[in-house]
Amino acid sequence: MFKMEPETKKRKGMEYDPDSWHVLPVLSDEMSDDVKLLDAYAAPITDKRQTSRLVKDLSVVHPLADLHHIKRVRACKDKSSPHPLEVIVCLVSDVSVPTTFVTQHQRPASLTDLLSSKDFNFEGLGEPFPVRIPARAPLTRPQFERASRHWPTSFHEDKRVTLGLKGQLFTSRQKAKIQEYMTTAVEAARSGREEGMDAAGAVIVDPKSGQIIAVGHDLTRDHPLHHAVMVCIDLVAWAQGGGVYTYEKHPACRYTASDPQLYAGHSETSGSEGSVQPYICTGYELYVTREPCVMCAMALVHSRISRVFYGAASPDGALGTKYKIHCQKELNHHFDVYKGVMRQACEELTPFK
Amino acid sequence: MRTDHTESDVINGSFHQPSDSEVQRWMSSAFNMAIEALENGEVPVGCLLVYNNIVLGKGRNEVNETKNATRHAEMVALDQVLEWCSHRDLDPKEVCKHTVLYVTVEPCITCAAALRLLNVPLVVYGCKNERFGGCGSVLDISSGDLPDTGTSFKCIPGHRAEEAVDMLKTFYKQENPNVANPKVRKECVSPAGGTITTHTEAAPHEDDVKMAVSD
Repeated sequence: MFKMEPETKKRKGMEYDPDSWHVLPVLSDEMSDDVKLLDAYAAPITDKRQTSRLVKDLSVVHPLADLHHIKRVRACKDKSSPHPLEVIVCLVSDVSVPTTFVTQHQRPASLTDLLSSKDFNFEGLGEPFPVRIPARAPLTRPQFERASRHWPTSFHEDKRVTLGLKGQLFTSRQKAKIQEYMTTAVEAARSGREEGMDAAGAVIVDPKSGQIIAVGHDLTRDHPLHHAVMVCIDLVAWAQGGGVYTYEKHPACRYTASDPQLYAGHSETSGSEGSVQPYICTGYELYVTREPCVMCAMALVHSRISRVFYGAASPDGALGTKYKIHCQKELNHHFDVYKGVMRQACEELTPFK
Repeated sequence: MRTDHTESDVINGSFHQPSDSEVQRWMSSAFNMAIEALENGEVPVGCLLVYNNIVLGKGRNEVNETKNATRHAEMVALDQVLEWCSHRDLDPKEVCKHTVLYVTVEPCITCAAALRLLNVPLVVYGCKNERFGGCGSVLDISSGDLPDTGTSFKCIPGHRAEEAVDMLKTFYKQENPNVANPKVRKECVSPAGGTITTHTEAAPHEDDVKMAVSD
């Protein structure tokens, strides 16, 4: 087994322009899809002084239980309007307006249709009109902006997500570091290709120290399941005193062993080494030239990886394309995924069929 | 006991359904492997890969001893099949095309994808894998539309399912010998996945705490 040489070789590194690619987060469907809309009735508030009373009374008749994100009252869009405020009366699904009204008489629903309660005080409320309101709270700024065009909603912004979507999450120094690791993965992919393997490479990094723990490339000609990620996971196991396969024939596949000095003192005391020694890929980051397949993506869940960066998408990819295993609700571990790192260089390695 | 696959089975790529006695026989062997895993402090999952009535691979979970979270029973057994093929200079995918997997617990998502990549056509299993299952419980990788990930496969679930669940329960009740200082313990049934240590591991990382609590 090769131990990794310290990085004496100077990185050619800037072979790629870091400005030529963008890192984009791969978000869950919930975060990336458009927010669905519900049909509702709103009405103008013709007497502003009645606003708080109307909101209170309406919320008794139609509480809009699952729509806490909806702001019940909005300022009227049209500034020249005689009534400055509008209020949500109810969802279309909250009431059963006789269809005859609409089909035969072309008459829209009236307040009495919507507020059947006998003692409702209609004072200050104008005739209802249909609107569409967001069915759930927006999770990202783009969703918030689109949702707000229909009706105002509350929004608890995740600044990291907002920056991520604008491609501004990483500083130029961080981006240079990401590029350095991905360059190592690209070089590994090329070494693999020279051996007749698929041109896919991967690097596992401990972000706390900045140290590369494992470098691997595809070995499917030796073993049909040895995708670059599977190779790296086993190399990390080697680094921790485990491991299954040998890689002598493949010098580009290498690892850095955990420093036994660092952990020696702790493991002798209460035998609580579990909390001190590195545990599979917990806390580690993966840089991989192409989007992992289902097998590799789930192997990363089992291995507790903390973040994944990839270059090119894969047709059956499981971190964005076919599945989003990194944010699959039922699974017990989730991680952040970013795509587009050195995209062109990675796509050139993996031409789409 | 039925006979081996006929020539035409092989040519058509069709596959005979194993008889009850075959299922019983191979599954009982898979259960023995699961017991062995249990005795070695690993998640009790055992399996067999059977080709033409020959056992080409046997495996049990060995995640803890290898520190590799992908060393599930299926992966261990598949390695033996590959070795068997390499000694005979046979194409593993051609051999796997006529191989049945007998496993005590529904394969996880990783293993289901691996079985696809090797073209295994049929999986007979015991209990469901609610946490990681790749044959319908969490995702349906076995029959998913994945043209770039081998071929889909069929499943025959439920053989001695209760027994398989009981073994998992036994495992999760006992102390995990690999973790000295368990901070979180859960009395839940958590089938085969990688890393049993999740439940009991001292959890320094915020995500781990969240994970353990939400299990």
